[in-house]
Amino acid sequence: MSIERTLPERIRKRLSGEPVFSVQADLMLNGHFGEMWLAVTEREITLWGAEDEPSYRLDARELTEARAVNGIGGGTLLADTKNGPVVLSRYTAALSAAFGFAAKWLTAMAKGEEPPLVSKKEFPRYCPSCGNPLSEGTQTCPICKSSGKVLRRMLRYAKPYKGKMAIAGLLLVLTTVVELIPPYLTKIMIDDVLQPKNAGSALLWVVLGLGATSFIMSVMQTARGLIGVWVGSKLMGDLRNDIYHALMRLSLAFFDRRQTSQFVGRVNSDSEAMRQFMTDGVIWVSAESLRIVAIFAIMFGLDWKLTLFALLPMPFMITVSMTLWPKIGRRWYQQWRSIFRLNVLVGDSLQGIRVVKAFGREKTEISRYAEANRELVRHNIRIEGLWQGIFPLFSFIAGVGTLLIWYNGGSSVIRGELQLGVLMALISYLGMLFAPLQWVSQMINWASHAIAAADRVFEIMDTPSDVPDARDPVPIGTIRGEVEFEHVTYGYEKHHPVLKDINLRVKAGEMIGLVGHSGAGKSTFINLICRFYDTDEGRIRIDGVDLRGIGQTDLRKQIGVVLQETFLFDGTIAENIAYSKPDATPEEIMRAARIANAHDFIVRLPDGYDTRVGERGHRLSGGEKQRVSIARAIIHDPRILILDEATASVDTETERQIQEAISRLVKGRTTFAIAHRLSTLRNADRLVVIEKGKIAEVGTHEELLARDDGAYRKLVDAQKELSRIKGVEG
Amino acid sequence: MQDGGAGQMQDAYEIRIIEPGQAYFSRGPGGVFQGVVDGKSYPEIVVYRVFPFRYASQYISIRDGKGEEIGIIRDIGEMDEESAKELERELGFRYFLPSVTRVDSVKQKSDLWLWELQTTLGPTKLAMRNLHEHMQFPGGGRIILTDVSGRRCEIPDWRKLDSHSRMQLTDVV
Repeated sequence: MSIERTLPERIRKRLSGEPVFSVQADLMLNGHFGEMWLAVTEREITLWGAEDEPSYRLDARELTEARAVNGIGGGTLLADTKNGPVVLSRYTAALSAAFGFAAKWLTAMAKGEEPPLVSKKEFPRYCPSCGNPLSEGTQTCPICKSSGKVLRRMLRYAKPYKGKMAIAGLLLVLTTVVELIPPYLTKIMIDDVLQPKNAGSALLWVVLGLGATSFIMSVMQTARGLIGVWVGSKLMGDLRNDIYHALMRLSLAFFDRRQTSQFVGRVNSDSEAMRQFMTDGVIWVSAESLRIVAIFAIMFGLDWKLTLFALLPMPFMITVSMTLWPKIGRRWYQQWRSIFRLNVLVGDSLQGIRVVKAFGREKTEISRYAEANRELVRHNIRIEGLWQGIFPLFSFIAGVGTLLIWYNGGSSVIRGELQLGVLMALISYLGMLFAPLQWVSQMINWASHAIAAADRVFEIMDTPSDVPDARDPVPIGTIRGEVEFEHVTYGYEKHHPVLKDINLRVKAGEMIGLVGHSGAGKSTFINLICRFYDTDEGRIRIDGVDLRGIGQTDLRKQIGVVLQETFLFDGTIAENIAYSKPDATPEEIMRAARIANAHDFIVRLPDGYDTRVGERGHRLSGGEKQRVSIARAIIHDPRILILDEATASVDTETERQIQEAISRLVKGRTTFAIAHRLSTLRNADRLVVIEKGKIAEVGTHEELLARDDGAYRKLVDAQKELSRIKGVEG
Repeated sequence: MQDGGAGQMQDAYEIRIIEPGQAYFSRGPGGVFQGVVDGKSYPEIVVYRVFPFRYASQYISIRDGKGEEIGIIRDIGEMDEESAKELERELGFRYFLPSVTRVDSVKQKSDLWLWELQTTLGPTKLAMRNLHEHMQFPGGGRIILTDVSGRRCEIPDWRKLDSHSRMQLTDVV
């Protein structure tokens, strides 16, 4: 096993025998940071700190069981011995999985069982060169990879438009060249026309030249601008598509851990920031750097000594830019974070607006918003202020160069060593030079904003899916609908299983009712069949094929779901019913609605099947929504059907209608149904009672009821009691 | 709970407060937290902060090895010194949340934020994928830092840190 090899030699030498297992803890027994080793040999368990003697020894025969007790942010490995429990190690949360495994291993050893096999998942992975943690599913260390990678990756989006961008670039070069002509013409005008008082046609020609250059310049600028807008909008469209695509690909587990409202901002504003940099930014950078080079070339040609004065402030400006660069990036991120918090806040309270109104908490919400808003204002001032501060500073510093040229050039002109026209040309070129230099700070701004945005966007794109599709998925075609659970264990957090060692075989066409207290693991059970999550241990098979080997699109085609919270998309009722089969004919839609007992109420609506539902549309009642979603499942025609509390929170008559619809729906399909009202499960072929993540009982309603002390019997009795109380109240 | 009856039913939903003097805690020979509550001894006791952020040393849920609640301690300060000390220590183990005494540096390298910190439990390093999901601001100047592997540290009040630390923090809080 790989983990033993890392046991330091100094400890290995002092062990009483060959180590069979070892693990490193990152805390000492007193809870302070530090390294400790737990080394196990056939005979004893030893604990090593920095000293050459073990700080604790336990005879292996004393051990009866080992447990990893996880606290918050860390945990403790406990050994149960014949003399009571003993603390073996303490560790931070980074090592929870490793110590969970250690506990299993030690328990197996104590009971004389086969020790479990090590899986890579149990141990945190670190970059071999810098020692920082690696994220799951990646091999490249984010720190060791080159820092220009984000930039390069971002620019890759510009690739499909390289033709257009090349034209823009060419126009840019031309504009730059043309732009440099006017000052030179001015020089000619002063030195060759005005000063010699040469009244010939030369003046007219020079003025015409000036006019022509400015006309050509504006034409080219317009062309370039149009290309920029076109490429920019296309680029932004591509980016948004990619981000959304990445979001849709991610597993449910990713969204479970995050507030969804944040993604709205990401898709839109982050892509805008990246677009701005790539089009305006890149074009500006190339234009301005080109201009700087050209201007210097001309200035050196005119008078190289004076030009050197113009260069004096440059090192200073570059140094300032380099030092401010990271600071600006951080402040942009800081400002983004406060916008993010504000968005989450608004998203939350608007989603829960009914609760806010019902409890009359509008004032609290307003003040919560005001607080977050104040933060945003503060950060806005910080970043904008910094930026506003740099701009005048840069102009001033650059201005110093001009003053030097004025003084030195002026005295040369007085001494007659320099022509006035040359000085005037130098001064105007210098003026043109400062514009791009000021853009340097604007560029810093754009680039750091864009890189921060790109970081966040690529983070989403790079997050590996928790439920990856198999490389060569097994084509399953239309399945029979046999489902088999084999030693399935799963927890939303790996070391905290919600389902433990589930074994169940379901025949094709069978209806299974899942029963149990809330939190027992019923919904998790169903989520695993849909493969919203992958099992941690064991496997689920459909028609004998491992779920992981089936393509997800294929799988979902065979599974239909009617969930507790019925979600209808923004669109018409017909579109919602035909969600999984967009090419369904009107007859098919009506038939499905008819089976779902929804046809009548839909027809009675003023807009019939074209009634808009969802966020802004017509409001359907809970029972109506239920029936629309049943119709949606019917048209999907799945082989495996999942019903999660389909009849909760509706009145008796509606329930009867839904029941009826469901009983038509389940015919001939493998069905898993969850219901709190046990009476709704009386059609089930078998009931599975789940208790604390384990299957407690399996059997028909009658069989389970016959068990006097059975878990199902208790649930039924409790429910009878409840309905008796309700009856009295009613 | 053998006597049953209506009174008992009600008790089951009542929060049971353990009065000072009813409970004594100590550490067993194996280093495990144990105690005697109401004359009954428990070889293993697990403690939970009920309001971990608002009341760190008040409202402590005392549970047996299986996680069943024995009762709630209203305030550690009301207990005898020995028990209070041991209880504090156990809370420190279970809620592993070292307090930051100095921020040596906060650096962003590529897409990881690296923190070098001095804490009450010794020096440590944290790595975060981003700041907006790994920094929490529960109120006041308090900051909870969580790293990619789930490790946490707490800055009780960042405004009270030394000037070097505050410098490091200016652009991240």
